[in-house]
Amino acid sequence: MGYDILSKIIEFTDSEEALEKRLEDVAALLISFFAFDQCAIYLFDQEKKILILAVEAGSKQEGQRVYREDEGLPGLAIKTGKPVFITQFGRIKDVWQGIADKSASGFKTVICHPVKDDILYGALYMRSMDKKIISPKKKKLLAVIALQLATAIKNYECIVHLTDANKKMQDMQARLVHAEKLLALGEMAATLAHEIRNPLMSIGGFTKRLQQQLGADPSHSAYVERIVKEVERLEKLMDGIVRFSDKSGYELSLEDINNIIEEAAQFFEDEFKGSGIAVVRDMTPDMPRIEADRQQLKLVFNNLMANAIQAMAKGGTLTIQTRHEDNWIVTEMSDTGGGIDIKIMSNIFNPFYTTKETGTGLGLAITHTIVTNHKGIIEVNNNMGVGVTFVIKLPVAREQGGNYE
Amino acid sequence: MNEKILVVDDEEGIRLLYKEELMDEGLDVHLAASGEEALAKLEKDKFDLIVLDIKMPGMDGIEVLRRVKERWKNLPVILSTAYHHYKQEFGTWASDAYVVKSSDLKELKTTIKDILNTGRK
Repeated sequence: MGYDILSKIIEFTDSEEALEKRLEDVAALLISFFAFDQCAIYLFDQEKKILILAVEAGSKQEGQRVYREDEGLPGLAIKTGKPVFITQFGRIKDVWQGIADKSASGFKTVICHPVKDDILYGALYMRSMDKKIISPKKKKLLAVIALQLATAIKNYECIVHLTDANKKMQDMQARLVHAEKLLALGEMAATLAHEIRNPLMSIGGFTKRLQQQLGADPSHSAYVERIVKEVERLEKLMDGIVRFSDKSGYELSLEDINNIIEEAAQFFEDEFKGSGIAVVRDMTPDMPRIEADRQQLKLVFNNLMANAIQAMAKGGTLTIQTRHEDNWIVTEMSDTGGGIDIKIMSNIFNPFYTTKETGTGLGLAITHTIVTNHKGIIEVNNNMGVGVTFVIKLPVAREQGGNYE
Repeated sequence: MNEKILVVDDEEGIRLLYKEELMDEGLDVHLAASGEEALAKLEKDKFDLIVLDIKMPGMDGIEVLRRVKERWKNLPVILSTAYHHYKQEFGTWASDAYVVKSSDLKELKTTIKDILNTGRK
């Protein structure tokens, strides 16, 4: 008969069901097997050091929901690591042998069994209105059941951790692949830029000479002027690419992020006014300094602000928040420009990707590269229909108490 | 007498552009298509200034600069390249000036004039 319930318990604990469903099955089985009125299963929170009610089965379900590790009969069971068996003629009162536990009150038989192997996972709490003698054989069986339960919970936690770790690894891998892709694109762009730059320079240079020699001859000057302008545009683009792939040459100094942002914001003051954009500043004063190339980092905020202005051509609000969080200086820039189309989200940091007619597609790619070169992180929170928040985290300078690698 | 300058660049178009533009400035312009050719010309002739491209196949501009400064300590060298970041690189410190290449040669011309004027004083 004992083997019956054991094989059933193993079946329940090994099933693919969610943990709670499995625990419910076990609790119900225990009630019917031991002919008790109630069975509750508590799970131990390793961090908070408390027992939390997971499932209850049986008649009136009114067990205490949470036990501290030194509280009540479950507390006694997990403290000693041994089951507590109480069987008496009269009903148990609110306090039993100096231990207060209202859950036991009114019952005649109570079992509190720890669920543990080397680690504590929780406790079984069974109650009966009748006086029941628990035979040594049943006690042994219960111990085996509790151990089986512990194994089941342990396996479950393992799987949760594994799934979690797996997901984290996948995320990281995706990021790595993305970073490598950006790097490869950057390198390719730099090679291309160099190859294009030289012939472009002679095209531009000779056209300018042609322009001088033709003077103001209206039949040609418009063409020549067009060539000169287009070459200048291309040269600017090549300049951007070279800067994008340029990893060396950062001049680092201790900087106040608020100060850099303020400078960038002042640069766009007229544009903000012109487009009817209100700039809300929520900046934490006197934060630790960051180690940064001022010019490069200003470019980051310039790019983000330019994007925000384009996203809010019909007005809106740009909220700039800065704060100190652990070893990071966090900047959040939120616009009310309606958000980024989900279809293009994964492309926004790729070089040469643009949705604008006149864009080079380098703004956000450069922004991403600069932040990464500062050992920082840039993230986008897209709130479709509302707007976009760019979150930039930069490490606190080591001399300022930061301890990044 | 016109100052004699040597332009070193592996791109033919750029050599010709420099030649025409700098001749208009009244300079006596000579050309070299590689570092090796430049060093050979420097052995034979006396120059007042070199405009030197950094990125060249074979001997690159940084190496040419090093050899020039070893042998002709007072010969001014202007480095010209597509990259801003060479500015911070160790090897470029020895140059007298640094110009980022552009179809707009104003910066190069001004730099050449400044260096030659300083030398005359």
